Amino acid sequence: MTAKQGRNIAFSALVLIAAAIWIFPLYWALTTSLRSENRIVSDAGVWIDELNFSAYIEVLSTSKLPIWYLNSVGTSLIITVIVLITGMMCAYALSQLRFPGRRLLYLVVVASFMVPVPALYVAQFVLMSDLGLVNSWWGIILPQLIVPVVVIVYKQFFDAIPKEMREAVLLDGGGEFTLLFKLYLPLNWGITAALAIITFISAWNNFFWPFLVVTSESMMTIPVGITQVNDSFGVFYARMMALALLAAAPVIIGYLIFQKRVTEAVMISAGVKG
Amino acid sequence: MEDTGVHLRGVTKDFGAVQVIRGVDIDIERGQFAVFVGPSGCGKSTLLRMIAGLEETSGGKIIISDRDVTDFDPADRGVAMVFQSYALYPHLSVFENMAFSLRLAKRPKAEVKDKVVEAAQILQLTDHLDKKPSQLSGGQRQRVAIGRAIVRDPDVFLFDEPLSNLDAELRVAMRLELARLHQKLGATMIYVTHDQVEAMTLADVIFVLQGGYVQQSGAPLDLYDDPSNRFVAGFIGSPSMNFFNATVEDRTDTGIRARLEGQPDVAFDVDLTAPPDPGATVVLGMRPEHLVVTEGEGMRVTVDVAEELGGVSYQHGTLDGGDPVIFQQTGARHNMHGTVQTVTPQTDRIFAFTPEGDRIR
Repeated sequence: MTAKQGRNIAFSALVLIAAAIWIFPLYWALTTSLRSENRIVSDAGVWIDELNFSAYIEVLSTSKLPIWYLNSVGTSLIITVIVLITGMMCAYALSQLRFPGRRLLYLVVVASFMVPVPALYVAQFVLMSDLGLVNSWWGIILPQLIVPVVVIVYKQFFDAIPKEMREAVLLDGGGEFTLLFKLYLPLNWGITAALAIITFISAWNNFFWPFLVVTSESMMTIPVGITQVNDSFGVFYARMMALALLAAAPVIIGYLIFQKRVTEAVMISAGVKG
Repeated sequence: MEDTGVHLRGVTKDFGAVQVIRGVDIDIERGQFAVFVGPSGCGKSTLLRMIAGLEETSGGKIIISDRDVTDFDPADRGVAMVFQSYALYPHLSVFENMAFSLRLAKRPKAEVKDKVVEAAQILQLTDHLDKKPSQLSGGQRQRVAIGRAIVRDPDVFLFDEPLSNLDAELRVAMRLELARLHQKLGATMIYVTHDQVEAMTLADVIFVLQGGYVQQSGAPLDLYDDPSNRFVAGFIGSPSMNFFNATVEDRTDTGIRARLEGQPDVAFDVDLTAPPDPGATVVLGMRPEHLVVTEGEGMRVTVDVAEELGGVSYQHGTLDGGDPVIFQQTGARHNMHGTVQTVTPQTDRIFAFTPEGDRIR
């Protein structure tokens, strides 16, 4: 065995151990969800030695899971579409149009990126309350539409498109909308897909804001809904884990389908976020 | 007949405090192949982009087809441009690239197809219409870029150094294709290049630009035979003209007799109608192809580099006084490297300039 092979084996072992540590909570959630509530309290074993689906049946039949799904899908999709369209247009203006204050505006976008989102929650809650949007989709959606990273990523990609292509479109008789939708966007479908995925995932996973702005059970998104399975008699671990797994399922399935794009998206946003 | 020529009147361009185009007047007649040539930074590309409408004009007028288009949008000027980088739309097929402008203009589908297919035939692209630009060779991409211009049926074609991204062989081939295309279409074309060989071979009329001015314009051979200043004399012709400082020794019946400062035992007669006074300093210009190797008296040149090109060779050397000299040899096969040769200019082939660079005629 050469030194290089040895290093490869050691590295692979390290990666496997890391993967095992990462996957263990998921696995434990699965085993827990397949046990009866009574047994969980008495025996915290990690092996799957029981296939008890009563927690799933309970959750699906008594909770508002279908409505929470609908709320999650609806708000996440709307957030994704609006964030991409506005982010793209803003980035196009910052990248390609020449107007006074352009650099300042870009600096503001970059600076807004440094404000932690929870710092805005109180102000946003008051605003949503004044607008009468508490307990509504728009109350969930509006504050989540500010995603400077989308603007920054799009701007970088738009900046990289050769000036001659833009000029060729101008000579061919195109205006700014033609430029954006027939040149800049088609040339950046890859990054658009990647940004759509990260925006969707972060909207889907967002817990705290929907938790604050929604109190009515029928307006909750899935992460908020998970907290509703406890009742005054205590915590129901199996039901909670079953619900958590059901909540995560669409994202996990989506990830398996778009694995490559998601990795790309995470790398790009990590590159920007440093 | 409608005049679809291009006329520039006192055109200027400022970038902040810097003026890069300083009052240019140009007349290009309908159907002419005009070439803007000059060293980098002379303003030739800027001037072309101003005609295209991609740069704003700071002063003066641009007239295309009898219309003052100075403030028109690029698309409304009746021009089409071929870029150095081709600027093809990478996400569209060759067909869609060429059809782009027609689709934006909402032309009927049948017309779009007819025009694209016709342009593809002219440019031998018919087999490639479904391909993406990335699947094409450099020469084919260049042809697509030209095709995109042709389908618009413009009054004026603008070319911004279109061949400089191609390798030497392809460049020569595309140069010929462009010349043929011009004959076939008969359209007005303006072509920017820094390569004076391209300028000489393609142009009906050349505009030599430097420092934001047109130094001289005219037919290629007129510029070669009768340059109006030292810059044009040095720029047109390859290799460049040799220049030697000389002193006017005497006036003759037909002009002057000037003695080389670098090699005072040699003097030449130069025919001039307005000869300067004896004692004045002049610059004598002699093209490499007009210097002949002779026996006996002449300019003594120590050859240090010999460029053998097969048919001709260029001998680079220095004159006794240190001035660099290039002379051309045709058919000679003996190696001149390291030797001292005596060369003499052909009579009537010596140009005279003032020290400031103006031509003395």
